[in-house]
Amino acid sequence: MEIKELMQKLSALKGASNASMIRDNVVKLDIDKNSSKEFFTKLRDDFGFEHCSLITAIDNQPEFELVYHFTSVNKSVTVGSTDMSVMTEVHVFLERDTPTIESISDLWGGANWHEREAFDLMGIYFVGHPDLRRVLLPEGFAGHPLRKDYVYEIHEEEW
Amino acid sequence: MAEMWISMGPQHPMTHGLWTLKVKVDGETITDADPELGYLHRSVEKMGERRKYFMNTTLTDRLCYASSTTWTHSYVLTVEELMNVEVPERAKYIRTIMLELQRLASHLMWAGAYMPDLGHITGALYFWRDRELFLNLLEVPSGSRLLYNYIRIGGVKRDLPDGFVEKTERVFKLFEKRLDEYADLFENSKIFRMRTQDVGNFTAAQAQNLGITGPNMRGCGTKFDLRRNDPYEIYEEIDWDIQTREAGPGYSDCFSRYMVRIDEMKESIRIIRECFKKMPKGPTLASTIPIRAQGEAFRRTEDSRGEALMYIVGDGTDRPYRWKIKSPMFTTISACPHYLKGYKLADIPAIMGSIDICIGETDK
Amino acid sequence: MNSKRVSGNPSLRRGVGSKTTDSDKIMEDPPAGDWLTLRSDQLLEWIDNAVYNVAETTGMREVVNRVTRPIFNYGQRFSPHPLHFGIMCCAIEMGQASAPDHDIDRLGLVYRSSPRQCDVLIVNGPVCEKLRPKLKTLYEQMPEPKWVIAMGECAISGGPYWDSYSVVAGADTFMPVDVYIPGCPVRPEALMHGFLTLQKKIREKEPGMFLRR
Repeated sequence: MEIKELMQKLSALKGASNASMIRDNVVKLDIDKNSSKEFFTKLRDDFGFEHCSLITAIDNQPEFELVYHFTSVNKSVTVGSTDMSVMTEVHVFLERDTPTIESISDLWGGANWHEREAFDLMGIYFVGHPDLRRVLLPEGFAGHPLRKDYVYEIHEEEW
Repeated sequence: MAEMWISMGPQHPMTHGLWTLKVKVDGETITDADPELGYLHRSVEKMGERRKYFMNTTLTDRLCYASSTTWTHSYVLTVEELMNVEVPERAKYIRTIMLELQRLASHLMWAGAYMPDLGHITGALYFWRDRELFLNLLEVPSGSRLLYNYIRIGGVKRDLPDGFVEKTERVFKLFEKRLDEYADLFENSKIFRMRTQDVGNFTAAQAQNLGITGPNMRGCGTKFDLRRNDPYEIYEEIDWDIQTREAGPGYSDCFSRYMVRIDEMKESIRIIRECFKKMPKGPTLASTIPIRAQGEAFRRTEDSRGEALMYIVGDGTDRPYRWKIKSPMFTTISACPHYLKGYKLADIPAIMGSIDICIGETDK
Repeated sequence: MNSKRVSGNPSLRRGVGSKTTDSDKIMEDPPAGDWLTLRSDQLLEWIDNAVYNVAETTGMREVVNRVTRPIFNYGQRFSPHPLHFGIMCCAIEMGQASAPDHDIDRLGLVYRSSPRQCDVLIVNGPVCEKLRPKLKTLYEQMPEPKWVIAMGECAISGGPYWDSYSVVAGADTFMPVDVYIPGCPVRPEALMHGFLTLQKKIREKEPGMFLRR
């Protein structure tokens, strides 16, 4: 299908809003937290996005934001007659006190360690993940360093 | 036979870089694997938030030390998209030449480290001797052998000096002759084929689901290369082909992944020759480069190991608010139970070597 | 790991060039009785003590040391066996230094994979919090005499990662370092100069005491 058609179909799904295009081959939209698992299942099965590129966790001061990027490798969505591959960027917003969301590691195997890293560095808890523990920091480390209110000692002055 | 866990710890000649691989063996056959990373975690993302945009190029060089220009380039492309900077034509051609020379040096580093894993120590000496030729070429414009800091926001640091084209042609003539000689030593050798064929198989569908990209995915026969499918710089204006190999319909083994990289090296030489023919004259750095940026942007590039993606959020000041780095090796290492199960303990160096691991970019 | 064994009077810890002929300072006699009833480690200790007592009283120990000390020193200087250990970018330059163009192997380097068989530990990258206990274990597993080379800015003082929450500010915060090589990354020629400096340092020290005391 064409990319414009993809954007219309995706915005018609439950919980989706704010659809727009970045450059020529990326569709960007926001998703409500409670209907995220359904949306991702449809994204993989019906629209053919078989590669999960990245899961980013951002700490906007009053809330957390998760950004998902997916790629279509096998040309299920095309941009005119070019060879370009299409990506989808999905934003989900979580509240500060209990940042939890359903895990998508059973849909995409590559999302497993991305979710572990988001838990390790930012403290977001993924419900249903098979093995949620720290991946980059040592086991006894206290705190989640990439949060903006994480305090640590630097031995020089700020410039 | 009892099953037991064997830990190939951080200091091990097989693991290129510092990571632990714990394998569960039943006799000699592998039944499970559990990798552990984090021995090189330098918190580059948090440090990047304390530095200005143009200062971060010193940090991105050191992300992957075997292929450092490609990571700086990925960061610079993202910042240019965020700040809306227009790069002059000549700078784009010079960047492409440096990227392809870096890809050659990176694949030669991989090949020189892969051969001793299979027991062929002479291969290390041959490939690293050729890598010296390319390091000397890369030193001419930038001044450094390994960590260049050459690609800057808005262009490149300085123009190519006189005589660079002739030097490169001399090196290519010598190197192409040598690559043909190496075919007898490596590809056509029966022992090499016995150790690498039908070992470490995974299918293209598994690769796409598990997050394996780059030459590892092209070894399964998938024709997907970000230089063609999401083009940047001047890859659209040059005539070149995507190299794929497969061990059978839709799956790869160590031998096909090896051959894909050798083919990519020959293709890089072709791309650089085309760039030399078409390069225009002009400035090499944009005339105005802003300092502050607002909004968010992401770009992905074809690193020597796969798909490198950078996502930056700016909040109107001269330092990034959030900088996220995606490394292709992060998910490839996490998928190692899938391509290690069922093989013997002695196959581990051959399989993990053919994946081409660089831990610097994985651990950030 | 202390490989010296002191039995009997601990004030008899020998330094360089000690001479004593006092018969009451010599170590006590080995356990009386049949030498056939001793365990293997007791037997070795008995032989060791007997040979040492003879050599010390007759002054032979000093003569033997004066002959063997230069030979041992020569051996240690021209065959430093480093550990096969690479952390980051400087490890790539360490590997490239063994390539035919620079060929650092002509100084006698043979890389060994096990720390039990090494003399030199080259720290060539930033040391993270997770790696620090393992590196300390590797250092303690190496037998005496041993040296440590801090290669590159990250191992000297933390380098470009000075303000990170997980990088230790230099390798000399938790282990003694002998040679510091600046550079980021260190060129192979600089690494060779570092090894030549290590050779000079070994020459000035006086290792190689015969009879282990």
